[in-house]
Amino acid sequence: MIHPVDTLLSLVLLSILFSFGSSRLPGLIKALAFQGIIVSVVPLFIGHGVTGEGVLFTSVTLIIRGIAIPLCIYLAIKKVGIKREVEPIIGYNASMLIGLFLILASIFAGKKFNINAIGDVSLLVPTAITVLIGGIYLLIARRNAIAMVLGYIMMENGIYLVGTSFSVRVRHIVEFGILLDVLAGVMIMAVILQNIKQEFDDVDTALLRTLKE
Amino acid sequence: MNHFFLAILIIASGGALTLILQKQFTFMKAVGVLGISTGCLIGLIDALFKLFNPVSHHLSFNYLNSLSLTFQIDGLSAFFLVAIFAVSLLASIFSFHYMSKPEKSLRTAVNYLFFSLLIASMALVVTASNILAFMLSWEIMSLSSFFLVIYDYQSPENRRAGYLYFIFSHVGAMFIFAAFGLIYGYTGSLGFNITAEIPETVKILVFIFSFIGFGSKAGVFPFHIWLPHAHPAAPSHISAVMSGVMIKTGIYGILRIYTLLDLSTPLFGQIVVIAGMVSGILGIVYALGQNDLKRLLAYCSVENIGIILIGLGIGMIGVSSGNPSMAVLGFTGGLLHVLNHSIFKSLLFMGAGIVIQKTGSRSINVLGGLLKSMKITGTTFIIGSIAISGLPPFNGFVSEFFIYLGGFQGVALDKASFVLSILAIVSLAVIGGLALACFTKVVGVAFQGEPRSNAAADVDEKGPSMLLPLIILSGACLVIGVLPGVFINMAVNALSSVGLAFTPDTIEPFTKITGNISMAALIFFIFLLSVLALRTILYKGKTISRSGTWGCGFTQPTVKMQYTGTSYASFILEFFKPIAPNHEVLKSVQGRFPEKTKYSSRINDIAELHMENVIVRPVLWLFDKLRWIQHGDIHLYIGYILLAIIVLLFFV
Repeated sequence: MIHPVDTLLSLVLLSILFSFGSSRLPGLIKALAFQGIIVSVVPLFIGHGVTGEGVLFTSVTLIIRGIAIPLCIYLAIKKVGIKREVEPIIGYNASMLIGLFLILASIFAGKKFNINAIGDVSLLVPTAITVLIGGIYLLIARRNAIAMVLGYIMMENGIYLVGTSFSVRVRHIVEFGILLDVLAGVMIMAVILQNIKQEFDDVDTALLRTLKE
Repeated sequence: MNHFFLAILIIASGGALTLILQKQFTFMKAVGVLGISTGCLIGLIDALFKLFNPVSHHLSFNYLNSLSLTFQIDGLSAFFLVAIFAVSLLASIFSFHYMSKPEKSLRTAVNYLFFSLLIASMALVVTASNILAFMLSWEIMSLSSFFLVIYDYQSPENRRAGYLYFIFSHVGAMFIFAAFGLIYGYTGSLGFNITAEIPETVKILVFIFSFIGFGSKAGVFPFHIWLPHAHPAAPSHISAVMSGVMIKTGIYGILRIYTLLDLSTPLFGQIVVIAGMVSGILGIVYALGQNDLKRLLAYCSVENIGIILIGLGIGMIGVSSGNPSMAVLGFTGGLLHVLNHSIFKSLLFMGAGIVIQKTGSRSINVLGGLLKSMKITGTTFIIGSIAISGLPPFNGFVSEFFIYLGGFQGVALDKASFVLSILAIVSLAVIGGLALACFTKVVGVAFQGEPRSNAAADVDEKGPSMLLPLIILSGACLVIGVLPGVFINMAVNALSSVGLAFTPDTIEPFTKITGNISMAALIFFIFLLSVLALRTILYKGKTISRSGTWGCGFTQPTVKMQYTGTSYASFILEFFKPIAPNHEVLKSVQGRFPEKTKYSSRINDIAELHMENVIVRPVLWLFDKLRWIQHGDIHLYIGYILLAIIVLLFFV
């Protein structure tokens, strides 16, 4: 029987493919927000049943991950007037194909890791790996700095899923540690982006090449 | 043990407080000096007490359950602690008037912080009793001394010196890591106590790795290259601590590893003796070629490390060939020289510090006649010079004489040991002679004669806190020289705690001989002084005409008619040309109306030259070829990270 969480996780996988294929920043942000919401809901359904504490943590995570961060980025691009295109280094179709291969490879790799998936959620580990690597892929394959920030956040979603698959009890501590990290990271990136924008009048990271020694 | 940690705590908090108080310059210095010196004093008394009551004291900290830091004070540690705390105590007192620039208040505060860290970490290095504690303290020591070296970071030369020191200390640490890694790999324990169980062949490797690692800290030729750059760059009281005691932690490491490995083959003693002879002779030859006062002293440290190694090596040969009196004489001499060198070298560095602060120049060729205006500094510097040349009645004589005696014991042995013993004796004699030449050069050029520049002409020696350590240290030189018994006992106690003092009774007659020779020399000195006093009394009331030194009856002598440091040393250096190439720049005089001409010379260090040709150039070439990896594209950089992760996940 298919576990209900597996259904949720397959939505995460779809969101990855969607984010690989989207050419505009708003679309990418929406895909990330969707992914964030699902990722933060997943832990509620695995492990011990639904507790009041769990619901509280989940909702806080969901608000930060699924709403606050994407909204901030969305408002930021509106305000600063950044180009809407994600400026791919590797094209959208090729990215989709790579995404598919990535899912396959992750399922293959997930078996090798030999992590005892909690319950019988067979997709948890492969999805976690796919999200993680997918985030790094966005970092590599997109020139627009905002798209790279989004890639970073996606990576963080992956780390959260990996954490979920490792432990149930101390999850919240780990999660809040990570969230704090992300907030700091996003803030630093905002500052850096502003500096790049001021210096080069664009947030195309390829321009950073001129800083080379 | 608690007193020891109390001392460390007081030292560190004294250093940290200066950062808070940096607005009030003098108060900040007073707090820093007071904290550091109080801590050192407590530590010194505690270490002396432990040295004469040889019971080993343990303490361990557990960190994260699995990683424990353990410390232990046995006789050997206590012996080094005495040197560390004594020299640091005097250096911190010295610094009160030496650090005299209120506009550099923050930098002075940072200097005090790292100074206190350096003292604390040195003390922890010699007490650490497991790998973790040792490496942790070792790294703190290297890093804090690095920050002390780049105190005057605005000068590019000092930054370069700091960089060189940083590289050397970390390459050295890497070798130590390798040695400890081997130990850990074979014993599976972080502690030092079961190290003797590893196989014989591995022991050789461990010893060689740790010898290179510790040797690069101690300044053994050819790993000494950082020393003549880093020591002049640091403020003088820091140079005194670094040259006086910090480099001795390398000696401590070699000795400790030797005792832990419980080696029986004569190979190690031979390696150590040969390394000692090479660094001794080359160190003093290069010292002779220097005209920068602190660089000269730094090279001289290389020489003294050589002497210490000769002593230890003779001891090791004595152990492996079953000659207990040779062993005990060699080890005692070497260990006592550690203490002696830390005393007279810090004396000389602090004396040099006063000279440099008052005249603003490090080159002895622009000094001269300083003895007339800086009586205490000059006199104590001369005492330090006599001591470092190994002449009675001062302390350098005692330890070198013991090493000589150890060498003579080895003459009765079989072939290899015989040859090495003879060579050790000969090279000790060469070193002693050259050291005497070197220091007559310094004293003669810088302190006697006539001032060669205006800067050297009007100087004073104000700053009682700078003079007090000099007087104490020169007093210590004399006391150890005249009454060597107590101090030899200290060294013997230190050795017996690690099982190296086989028959301490055999040493008694040698101590007596040494004491007698020193006493005879002292009587000679007292006689000389009384003749001088008699002369003053007899000449009272008579007119004595004075003229310039080296005036020689010329009616118009100029200061240029004196020997310079370069010309004084050139006769000796001519002989050592193959190992100390002289780089001369001379525009010769040509034609009837010659242009203004110039001459400059520099003695090159062959180790430095060859390091540049053999190591630095090929490495730079290689990395130049790999430059394309750094192309500035952030996406590919992230790609590298991804690649590394994947490789690690699947192949490791």
